Amino acid sequence: MRDTHHLPFLLGCLAALLLLPFVLQATGSSYLISTATRLVVFAIAAVSLDLLIGYTGLVSFGHAAFLGVGAYTVGILSFHAYEDTTLIGLPGTLSGLVAIPLALALSALAALIVGALSLRTRGVYFIMITLSFGQMLFFLFVSLEQYGGDDGMMMFEGRNRLPLLDLNDRISFYYFCLAWFVLFFWFCTWLVRSKFGRTLAAIKQNQDRLSSIGINAYWAKLQVFVIAGVGAGLAGALSANHTEFVSPALTHWTRSGDLMIVVILGGMGTLVGPVLGTFLFLLLEEFLPLILRGLGLGLLSEHWRFVFGPILILVVLYAKTGLYGLIFPRRG
Amino acid sequence: MLEIRNLCKSFGALKAADDVSLTVERGTIHALIGPNGAGKTTLIALLSGYLQPTSGAIAFDGRDLLAVPTHLRPHAGLVRSFQITSVFPEMTVRENVCLVLQSVAGQARSLFRLAAADRAEQEEADATLARVGLIDQADALTGNLAHGQKRQVEIAMALAARPKLLLLDEPTAGMGVEESRRIMDLLESLRDSVTMLLVEHDMDVVFGLADRVSVLVYGKVIASDTPERIRVNADVQEAYLGDHELHGEGD
Ligand SMILES: Nc1ncnc2c1ncn2[C@@H]1O[C@H](COP(=O)(O)OP(=O)(O)OP(=O)(O)O)[C@@H](O)[C@H]1O
Ligand SMILES: [Mg+2]
Repeated sequence: MRDTHHLPFLLGCLAALLLLPFVLQATGSSYLISTATRLVVFAIAAVSLDLLIGYTGLVSFGHAAFLGVGAYTVGILSFHAYEDTTLIGLPGTLSGLVAIPLALALSALAALIVGALSLRTRGVYFIMITLSFGQMLFFLFVSLEQYGGDDGMMMFEGRNRLPLLDLNDRISFYYFCLAWFVLFFWFCTWLVRSKFGRTLAAIKQNQDRLSSIGINAYWAKLQVFVIAGVGAGLAGALSANHTEFVSPALTHWTRSGDLMIVVILGGMGTLVGPVLGTFLFLLLEEFLPLILRGLGLGLLSEHWRFVFGPILILVVLYAKTGLYGLIFPRRG
Repeated sequence: MLEIRNLCKSFGALKAADDVSLTVERGTIHALIGPNGAGKTTLIALLSGYLQPTSGAIAFDGRDLLAVPTHLRPHAGLVRSFQITSVFPEMTVRENVCLVLQSVAGQARSLFRLAAADRAEQEEADATLARVGLIDQADALTGNLAHGQKRQVEIAMALAARPKLLLLDEPTAGMGVEESRRIMDLLESLRDSVTMLLVEHDMDVVFGLADRVSVLVYGKVIASDTPERIRVNADVQEAYLGDHELHGEGD
């Protein structure tokens, strides 16, 4: 709810993201466009996870599974287009108009199945069961020898093809991802302010009360779980296109953990928070090893997450609304 | 309106409902009294679907209530309130009521309507809040209210669900005298439109409102009668009311 009070801030961020490629080019650092693309793609996944964790109180520890479903849909279609083979009688394709919608549909289906089973549980059990489903999908992808097993596979045909837009041009691709990000962010802003959003807040605050006022919490949770799964699937499909590579690593539980970290770090229950969290996470991932090496702590730089962990604990203890809370302190 | 037949509920060895049979007539206020731990809240939970009975049957409005899922019972007209206040603390008082209204309207999962944009819903919520005397707190965070005011929110939420049969579990417990009076008057004014099963400890309230009184002791209904006859029922006096309480009534 509080997000909506920051329209100038949001518009400022949007302007910055729109101008970013020009700035980077002008300063001769256009290699960073790829990092910026990662930012907007990863932010989609983080925002979608926050719908679960921050807005509904559902601590899902398997969110990266849906990244994998989205990415593998794009990757497998590309693989069969390259090999000119079929999968269950259907040909592969490089068309983004087919691959991306299919990636969204399959991640919705995967989220529907995982959600239908795991949302019967609560609390720690829910965390554990979503983690298990995540790992199941991870091992499923590892077992797909045809698609590279645990090494994953390159998309030799490059990115998806779209009419009018050349995704292999990195600036076009950045804007393509940015457009998806803006669309998804706007959709989530709408969602959390809708009547459905109010029901989600109610689930978070006092789930047991809902059936006494005639609301089935299970269906509401399933609905948001599928929506969040589609968000992650979208991020996965874009990520596959970005790196032109898919591998099970995308669905490893540490990926799910990274997403949770980003949400907590940025500020749960806000939509801006996870975006800020993603920004900081990528920044640290990129530069913390360098800084540590500069300080002569080379060993730590290999395991920068060890340094990252304590930072996170401090955030959880002292800044409950994360970065968001630091930037927009609650008034009164 | 409501017919409970041979309802049993055991928690291990404890029989919280022991072969309970009870009929609540349409258009009446039916009080349920009994000492602490008698099983009154358990009975409300069985009726509202929060607990499943060990055995027995419940008919509501001519249909088998036990076949109706918990979350559909309010839509069928069976609405409960909670003895232990259960509200949504991080929402405003008005939003708590709006949440009920959106559920009644079948919009709990609607993505198409912004919550804040439904003026009609808010007006209806405010009207309900005015009835329970909480309109001046409409914009307050429910979690910040005093205990008695949260009890009023509880009543407002129950009323907003447009009940045919209202199960009230000690609605005025924890309220101030004035609020309590207001709620009693409100319930009195609803007498013609809403049937009520009222769990209450306050005998002034019970004998002032009820058309019928049932007495529950150790999970068993030991008497079910008019207030006048309950007052002089020897079993009831022995088991529950106690001489001093009855004589203390003084009316
Ligand atoms: N979920 C439960 N598990 C085990 N025992 C329970 C449970 N709920 C209630 N009981 C027991 O059942 C008995 C009836 O409890 P109940 O809350 O229905 O009484 P009550 O008549 O509402 O009492 P009070 O006037 O104090 O509200 C008590 O002995 C209680 O300890
Ligand atoms: Mg009780």
